[in-house]
Amino acid sequence: MAPMNAHEWGDLADDEAAAALLGSVMSTIDNRVQYGDARLVEAEELRLYHQLDRDPDERLEKSVGIGVRVLVDGSWGFAAAPLSDAGVPARTAERAIAVARAGVGTGPRVALPPRPAASGRYQTEVGQDPFAVSTAERDALLAQAIEAAAASRGVSSVTAGVNAKRQHRHFASTEGSLQHQHLIETGGGLTAIAANAHEVQRRSYPNSFHGNTGGSGWEFVLGLDLVGNGARVGEEAVALLSAPMAPAGVNDLVIGAQQVSLQIHESSGHALELDRILGDERNFAGTSFIRASDVGTLRYGSPAVSITSDPTVAGTRGSFGWDDEGTPARRAGLIEEGIFRRTLSNRDSAARAGLEVTGAARADGWAYLPVCFSTHVFLEPGAGSLAELLDRLGDGYYIEDNRSWSIDNRRLNFQFGTEVAYEVRRGRQGRLLRNFSYGGITPQFWNSVEAVAGQEEFRTFGYPCGKGEPKQWGFLSHGAAPLLARAIRTGVA
Amino acid sequence: MLPPLDEARTMEALDAALRSTAADEFEISVLARSGEYTRFAGQVIHQPQDITEVQYLVRALVNGHPYRVATATAADLERAVAAAAAGARIRAELSKEAGQVRLAGPQPDAAPGPLWYADTEAYDVAARSSLAKRAMAEAIEAGGEAAGMLGCAVTQQLVATTAGIRRATAATEASGSLTVTIDDGTAHWVDLSRSAGRLDVAGSVSHAVAQALAGRGRVDLPAGRYPVVLGAEAVGELLGFLPDVGFAGTLAAAGIGITAQAGQPLAAPLVDVADDGGVDVGLPIGFDIEGVTKRRVDFFRHGLVGEAVTDLATAAALGRPSTGHAHIAREQVPEPTAPNIVMSGGTQTEDDLIAQLEHGVYLQRFWYTRLVDRITGTITGVTRDACFLIENGRLTTPLNGMRFTESVLGLLAGVEAIGADVRSQPIPNVWNGAISAPSARSAAFRLGAAPIEPVA
Repeated sequence: MAPMNAHEWGDLADDEAAAALLGSVMSTIDNRVQYGDARLVEAEELRLYHQLDRDPDERLEKSVGIGVRVLVDGSWGFAAAPLSDAGVPARTAERAIAVARAGVGTGPRVALPPRPAASGRYQTEVGQDPFAVSTAERDALLAQAIEAAAASRGVSSVTAGVNAKRQHRHFASTEGSLQHQHLIETGGGLTAIAANAHEVQRRSYPNSFHGNTGGSGWEFVLGLDLVGNGARVGEEAVALLSAPMAPAGVNDLVIGAQQVSLQIHESSGHALELDRILGDERNFAGTSFIRASDVGTLRYGSPAVSITSDPTVAGTRGSFGWDDEGTPARRAGLIEEGIFRRTLSNRDSAARAGLEVTGAARADGWAYLPVCFSTHVFLEPGAGSLAELLDRLGDGYYIEDNRSWSIDNRRLNFQFGTEVAYEVRRGRQGRLLRNFSYGGITPQFWNSVEAVAGQEEFRTFGYPCGKGEPKQWGFLSHGAAPLLARAIRTGVA
Repeated sequence: MLPPLDEARTMEALDAALRSTAADEFEISVLARSGEYTRFAGQVIHQPQDITEVQYLVRALVNGHPYRVATATAADLERAVAAAAAGARIRAELSKEAGQVRLAGPQPDAAPGPLWYADTEAYDVAARSSLAKRAMAEAIEAGGEAAGMLGCAVTQQLVATTAGIRRATAATEASGSLTVTIDDGTAHWVDLSRSAGRLDVAGSVSHAVAQALAGRGRVDLPAGRYPVVLGAEAVGELLGFLPDVGFAGTLAAAGIGITAQAGQPLAAPLVDVADDGGVDVGLPIGFDIEGVTKRRVDFFRHGLVGEAVTDLATAAALGRPSTGHAHIAREQVPEPTAPNIVMSGGTQTEDDLIAQLEHGVYLQRFWYTRLVDRITGTITGVTRDACFLIENGRLTTPLNGMRFTESVLGLLAGVEAIGADVRSQPIPNVWNGAISAPSARSAAFRLGAAPIEPVA
């Protein structure tokens, strides 16, 4: 099991050292701001990639810095810098105050409802420290995965990778909160490409977008069976080159868990971000078709659709103890039996909209300010197996693994392609088809969901995501079981 | 506005680090950036930010086997060097054969245009806040709202290697973007440059307000193929897919994509597109993280297919010198990247291009575009702001956003006229990345989802 030192690396494992640096910020801003918080983050990330006929490429990236956010006379200010010397925290706090003052008087004053301090520690539970795994073991796993995927004649390119990240995230606020979270995440994935003069086809596992990463240790990678799945995706990539083209029409679909997770990300997670709903992101990321006043009344989906935010679920990339403005993690029903109930909110947006804070303030490391991002947001499972869902489908298509995705700036009009599609006739999975695509309008789609498979088919996928200006990354997760949707327009690409 | 690092002291630190004998060779690249951003929406500067980021990236080689370690501070450089050397030694021991990786040899000096502009230094928080307030007030006066971001930054890049490379540069950057919403009418503007003086923020605000006013009362356009005038931002968005269709060394080395047709006329003769680190447009910088001088790489020259950008590894695989485009994107495999894509402008205004169409559509901005088919260059996305019907050479009825699925290569093949109005936009997840493009008129653009056809 886990060695004790999985959480005991780095300079900021020491709470006292971190408290001293955060204290420097607090003493600098004391009595000069309405509110202030500081995030001190030490992070280390390992990435190893193997590619067919190339030397392995491995990198270990360390970063330590501080971000300070202040509210001065109703105006926000934020500054961030690497922790290059002991004077950085105080200087960064001064810069944040100066930045805030430049915006004073431009509009309505921001006021945060006060709340009590919340302090403590949180850490990811890991079985095997991914940073303690030897280079030889990592190499051997990826080399075998590459070999398995490349065994199929016609595979022209294979990339396999593993990644691990550990970070001490310290938070302090003028309300007296002092928190230390140590988050560990581990992941992996592979992609095989087959090409001929007329066609390029890709198969990936376990997720076409950056593999899959969980809030877990090396056991997460071992559980992926990259070698066994490498052989499968290599074969499937080649088979796709000669597979029939997926048809266009209006069809019933069973959508696999990975593709559903992306559908949740694009059409649920982003659409439910309250800062986006309020227009904060309209210049870049966009707005939402959902209005704050729709809470409790909008029929977002069918009664089979319940979508929940729950960062208290262990083991995901969206798991934490507190969000990045110190709000304790909590379970929140966003969509309940098809009805819109809650948003993904932070303190600022919730105060402006008069809605509850659901703890979705997320920031990329120390260098960016917290904005509303998904946490661990998932479609509640229904009942039954995938086979039972296919049986219920009757005639239609079973599709899985995202190939391309696009959705408009209101999160309404979407179009997705999948790497694979299988014809289904009388509930039986048939021939493989290539270049499947489907599209629709978000609430129409979710209202067309007839059933969701059960817990035994539920899978979780960790995602990176982008938002904000300057653009920052968010790290989150979505869970889903396959779902059955009726009368979906297909062949739209 | 000062560079985040003292260049001389940083180079001294790199020199000291390179004295390590723990590996056969070392390469250290430093990427640093101090940015100030005034972000506003509605009536408020809601997210003003002042961000400094620094990365020292050490690559050690032992018998041709590499290992990279990055850190954020010079004080941690010694540890990073030792860790990189240790990693490379382990890799060499595991392999038992010589690795393929080599560092760059001596490089010719880059001769990019001026990279530091005093007018960008003057584009400070007070100037940006004033412009943001003006934009919000002008939109409110017109009955709507404005949201956007005005920013300035200093980018620094240094590279030092045991092969003798010592390079350093610092560059200013000014940027602006804005969306004006009035009822259902919207309009957008984005531009960036080394020089703030080239950003016409005030004029662009007024233009966007006027466009948003004209864009009220949007209607649906029937799906179909239309002659089109694309605004500069829309053209730039499409050009961002050129690396994906094969103008990237990774694909070229795998024998995939358009460069297999080098020399073929796949775009209209008017079309010149290149990645160019030496041109004074976008965000030029003279060398890459391997210390290799960037050279201009033509993707299309008078419409003829050119070549792919490469780094040392993909260049070696292709049997040619690196073009100086090494890049490591976050969470991704290192691969050559085109960070300063530029399409040459013409001589006409955007209004001239519109006036040349009796019937067609004008599309200002695309959104959420994604590659659908690498071979044909087909992408999908949606239209977003300031889209209009063109009738008798004028913008008339405003149009709702709609989905499109179209080939970038097909569009470039159909280009009939090019505007002079080159504007730049950032490339997401690319260090110091920009695409600069003018407006363009093309013969046809397919709007709407693909028609449903009978099952074969």
